[in-house]
Amino acid sequence: MIRLLLLVCMLAAGAVGVRAQPLLDWSPKEITAVGRHGPWPPPPVRDPSNKVSGTPAGVSLGEYLFNEPRLSGDGRMSCASCHQAGREWSDGLAKARGAVELDRRTPSLWNIGYLHWFGWDGAGDSLWAQTIRPLLDPREMNGGPNRAAALLRGDPALACGYEQAFGNKPGDDDERLLVDSAKALAAFQETLVSPRTPFDDFRDALLAGDREGASRYPLAAQRGLKLFIGEAGCNLCHLGPRFTNGEFGDIGIPFFVRPGEVDPGRLGGLQSLAASPFNLLGRYNDDATGNNKRRTRHVQRLHSNFGEFRVPGLRQVGRGGPYMHNGSLATLEEVVRHYSEVSPDRLHSDGTPLVRPLGLTAQQSADLVAFLRSLDAEPPQRPVPAPLCP
Amino acid sequence: MRLAAALLGALLATPAWADCALDLGRGAGWVVFSDRYLMTFRADPLRIEVGEPFALVVNVCTRRGRAAQLVAVDANMPEHRHGMNYRATIVGQGDGRFRAEGLLFHMPGRWEITFDVGTGDESERLTHDIILK
Repeated sequence: MIRLLLLVCMLAAGAVGVRAQPLLDWSPKEITAVGRHGPWPPPPVRDPSNKVSGTPAGVSLGEYLFNEPRLSGDGRMSCASCHQAGREWSDGLAKARGAVELDRRTPSLWNIGYLHWFGWDGAGDSLWAQTIRPLLDPREMNGGPNRAAALLRGDPALACGYEQAFGNKPGDDDERLLVDSAKALAAFQETLVSPRTPFDDFRDALLAGDREGASRYPLAAQRGLKLFIGEAGCNLCHLGPRFTNGEFGDIGIPFFVRPGEVDPGRLGGLQSLAASPFNLLGRYNDDATGNNKRRTRHVQRLHSNFGEFRVPGLRQVGRGGPYMHNGSLATLEEVVRHYSEVSPDRLHSDGTPLVRPLGLTAQQSADLVAFLRSLDAEPPQRPVPAPLCP
Repeated sequence: MRLAAALLGALLATPAWADCALDLGRGAGWVVFSDRYLMTFRADPLRIEVGEPFALVVNVCTRRGRAAQLVAVDANMPEHRHGMNYRATIVGQGDGRFRAEGLLFHMPGRWEITFDVGTGDESERLTHDIILK
């Protein structure tokens, strides 16, 4: 009898623990700040520079090409070799591995279509332009400028998929076919939108005044979120529904890649952007209005861009890693410790004082990690792609 | 905003400035003035969003009612000691207005916009703060 009573008491306590956690006090200003990180998911991507963006035939061709190893020089590497669906569209490695090991980490493709600058250094101003880079780069897929064209012309299924997507058969302009391949690949990547998370449920409940719904969000995550939008000021750069401003920052990560050699980050990216025949100022931009050229036309190359890297979005961040552009931090806990203890001396002399040692307590660090992990969710299983031309 | 509109109304009603039109077309705007210059401007689109490009439509006159030139527009965040990642270009609209194209505020907070205005051989920098949320 005593055992039974004990069991009932334990179950009741457990049930209370799951159902009714206290809800912290949230000021109107905080609720507004939390609200800016949603709603989720956002409307689907439509890239005006890409005529097959958002088209089913373009997406379908892109998915086949994404998994196509014949696009690489040795016929063994596809986009999916590094951007793996089961690894949050990255590879879990500290440094990406193409034909050789690279100096930067493979970025996740979640929500990639919503960006305006692509790559850690922002060398691409459209997703399709950025997609061309690894196809051609001898250190990555090493595909060469004619491989995509030969494949589209020579493979009947891909040729059929191309015609469905672009409205004509693959022609004899190899560069055009390379760009079109990249545009189809981009159309597919734009569909990679991360799932709703416990944070989104909390955010929506908080904004709707649903205290019961909001109180399901763990207390540690609530405390971490308060830090994120308050004292720690993380949301100055990690803002909006994707938790990024899409721009670049220097956060004190060492920029030496090996003795005597540095990664210039955004400074080098802007140089590559200006030299690229595939940027939005070039002839492959499908946007007749020209409105999408504004960032490219007006971006300026500054000395302070040295050592800056793109601010990554934080959705699914706890399921990814290693972290930072060079994969130098293995866990989320290490990332939070970096921001807690970063030495101002490691920032460049004209670096912004936005990054400063936060001096977090162990409890605050754990709370921030709990919040970041609430931005994770299990993605739904992806369906097997339908045949290109049944 | 009401104060700005009232100021603009009062200034436009003053005969000394009648030769220099300060009309920006549709929408609300801001008024900035110094001992020598008077300027009105508005954003296009009217609401400035973090991370989204915008333009400023600007009209600048001398306090004596003569047309003046907009030479440059820039912006910075004084608290964070950084500017924009983008450089605005100025285009004269031919009707006394100027359009500063290509601005983008990449963070919320206080942005100080600077306007270099002038007439011939003399110039001056006017500033205006915007709090972006």
